Amino acid sequence: MIMESKYLVETRNLVKRFGDVIALRNVNFKIGYNEVVGLVGDNGAGKSTLVKTITGTYAPDSGEIYIKGMKFKRLTPQKARELGIEIVHQERTIAESQPIWRNVFMGREITGPLGFLRIEEMKKATMRLIKEMGFKSEVIYPEKLARTLSGGYKQGVQIARALYFKADLIILDEPTIQLSLSEVSRVLDFVKDLKNRGKSCIFISHNIYHVYPVADRFVIMDRGRIVAEFRKRDLSIGDLSNILVTIARTGDIPAEYREINIVSRPLEEVS
Amino acid sequence: MASSVRDILSKVWHRYRIQTAVFLLFISLWFIFFALNPFAFTRAYTYTSLMSTMPFTIVPALSLTYVVICAEIDLSFPSVMALASWMLAVTWKDMGPTPLGVLLALAAGAVAGLFNGLLVTKARIPSIIATLGTLFFWRGVVMVCSQGYGIALFEYKDTPIYNLFVGRVAGLVPAQMIWTAALAVILWVFLNLHKFGAHIYFTGDNRVAARMMGINTDKVLICVFIIHGLISAFAGILATLEVATFWPSLGEAYLMKSIAAVVVGGTSIFGGTGTIFGTFFGGLILGFIELGLLAAGVAGFWIRLVYGVVITVTLIVQAIIREAEIKREMKEILSEELKEAPRGP
Repeated sequence: MIMESKYLVETRNLVKRFGDVIALRNVNFKIGYNEVVGLVGDNGAGKSTLVKTITGTYAPDSGEIYIKGMKFKRLTPQKARELGIEIVHQERTIAESQPIWRNVFMGREITGPLGFLRIEEMKKATMRLIKEMGFKSEVIYPEKLARTLSGGYKQGVQIARALYFKADLIILDEPTIQLSLSEVSRVLDFVKDLKNRGKSCIFISHNIYHVYPVADRFVIMDRGRIVAEFRKRDLSIGDLSNILVTIARTGDIPAEYREINIVSRPLEEVS
Repeated sequence: MASSVRDILSKVWHRYRIQTAVFLLFISLWFIFFALNPFAFTRAYTYTSLMSTMPFTIVPALSLTYVVICAEIDLSFPSVMALASWMLAVTWKDMGPTPLGVLLALAAGAVAGLFNGLLVTKARIPSIIATLGTLFFWRGVVMVCSQGYGIALFEYKDTPIYNLFVGRVAGLVPAQMIWTAALAVILWVFLNLHKFGAHIYFTGDNRVAARMMGINTDKVLICVFIIHGLISAFAGILATLEVATFWPSLGEAYLMKSIAAVVVGGTSIFGGTGTIFGTFFGGLILGFIELGLLAAGVAGFWIRLVYGVVITVTLIVQAIIREAEIKREMKEILSEELKEAPRGP
C-alpha cells in the first residue's frame, strides 16, 4: 500500500526518555523523497536516538512517526526494513572472516527448500552490486573476505546491502569515522550515488566537512531538540561551522542566520 | 594440462591453507609410521582397529566444532557421554536391546545440551565456567545413579541393533566409522550450505552485528549446544556398545583429545572460523599417532609426549600461516589505498 505523502519520513512531537534524561523533546523531523539530509550536532544531541526511533530500535514515549504517509506509534526493526528504511550502524555490522557475499546477506540469506542457501544466486547478486557501486571488480569480488577490505569498502558493503534490499531511505550513522582521507571521499561518492539513484539519505556526522558536500539540507540538533534547519544554498561551510560553535556555546543560533532558518516550516514552502 | 593441475592446487592452497596443512600432516604421519613398521601398516586389521576406536574422539569433536565456531566451548560432553551410556545400559538391562534405550540416551544428551545453552544465553554465564559446572554435575548424577558400578551388556552382542551401531561391515569396517563419516558429511552440509550454518559463523564472528542484522544469536547458541549434547550422547552410545559395557568414568579420556582434534583441525578458539574437514582429520591424526607409535614398538608412555609435540607444532604452524595471511592482506589493503590516495603537489 503506497499512499501519497509529501514526506518519506516525518516525525511529530516525538519524545523519548531514558529515566530522567530526555533524549528527544518534541522532535518534528522530516525528510522528503530523493533528499540527503545532514543530521549534525554535538555528542548527546539526540541524533542517534532519533534515527534509532525511526528504525524501530527504540520505542518513543509519545509522538508519531509517519512513513510514506502511514502513521505509527512505534516500529520494530523488521517493520522499518519492510517499509524500506535501512540503517548503516556506527558499529560495523560486518563479519570480518566471512566473504563479502555472505556479509551482504547477513541475517537475510536467500534460501531454497528447507532453508538451504542459494549460494550461486547470492554470489551473482553480490557481483551485480559490486559493479553497480562502482567497486573495481578486479580487486573486489564476492568471495573476498571482509577483513581484507579497507574501511571505506566495508562501509560500501553495508550500503550495498541496503541497496539490495530496496531501501528508499538509507541512514548512515557516522560512516566516515576512523577512515582515511581517500576512503572518506569514497564513502561520500557512495552517498552522491544514492541521491542519483533517487534514494533518500540521512547522513549523521560530527564532521561538517564530510556532511557539507553531500547534503541538500542540514538539521541541527542540540540537547534533544531540533534547533535549526538550513538549506545548503543559503549557507557556506564557514557559516555552518559558525552556527554549530555558537549553538554549542549558547544553545541558540547567531542572530544573523535567523532569517534563513527554516525549522518548523513545511518543506514545499521553502524548496 | 600440468599447468591447470598446478592452478587448481594453488587455488586450493590459497583458499584452504590450514586444511591443506592438516591433511598434509596426516599423510606424512602415515608415511613415517609406514616406514617404521611396514608390516603393520599393510595389514587390514590395523586400520580396522584404528576405525573402531577413533569415532569416540571424532564424533563429539565434530559437533564441538560448531560450538567453538560460535566462540564458545563445552567441557561437559564427556559426562554427557556417560549419562547417555548409563541411560542406555539401564534401559536395556530392564527391557532388552530396544531402540527406546537409544532414544532415551539421545534425549538425555539433548536435555543436557539445552541446559548448557540456557546457562550460556539466559543466565549469561561464560560457557567455559557453565560447562565446567555441568561437567561435574552430570558425572555426579551418573555416579550417584550407578553407585559407581559398571553394567555389562555382553548378552546383547550381535543383536541387530548392536550391529547397526558397532558391527563390522564386510568383517572389516566398523559401523561406527561409517556413522562418523555420515555425521561429518551431515554436519558439513549444514555448516556450509544451510542458513543455520551461516548464522553459526556470524554468531561467532561478530555477535553484536549478527543481532543487529536480525539473527537470533541466543537461539543459534541454544541449538548448537543441543546438537552437541545429542551427538555427544550418540558417541556415548557407540563407546558403550563397542566394549558392551557401561562404566561410570566413560568419556573422561575424550575431553582433551576431542578439544585437541578441533584445534589441530584449524578451528580458531576465538570463533568465526573453522571447518568440519579440519576436525575430522585432526581427530584422525591423533588416533594415528597412538596406533602408529604402538605399532612402531614405542612404549605407551611416549604417546602423550608425542601428542603434546604434534599439537604444539601444529598450532605454531597454523599461527605462522595466519600471520603470513594477515601480513599479505594488510599489504594488499595498503597498496590499494596508496594507489588511490590523492597525489601531493
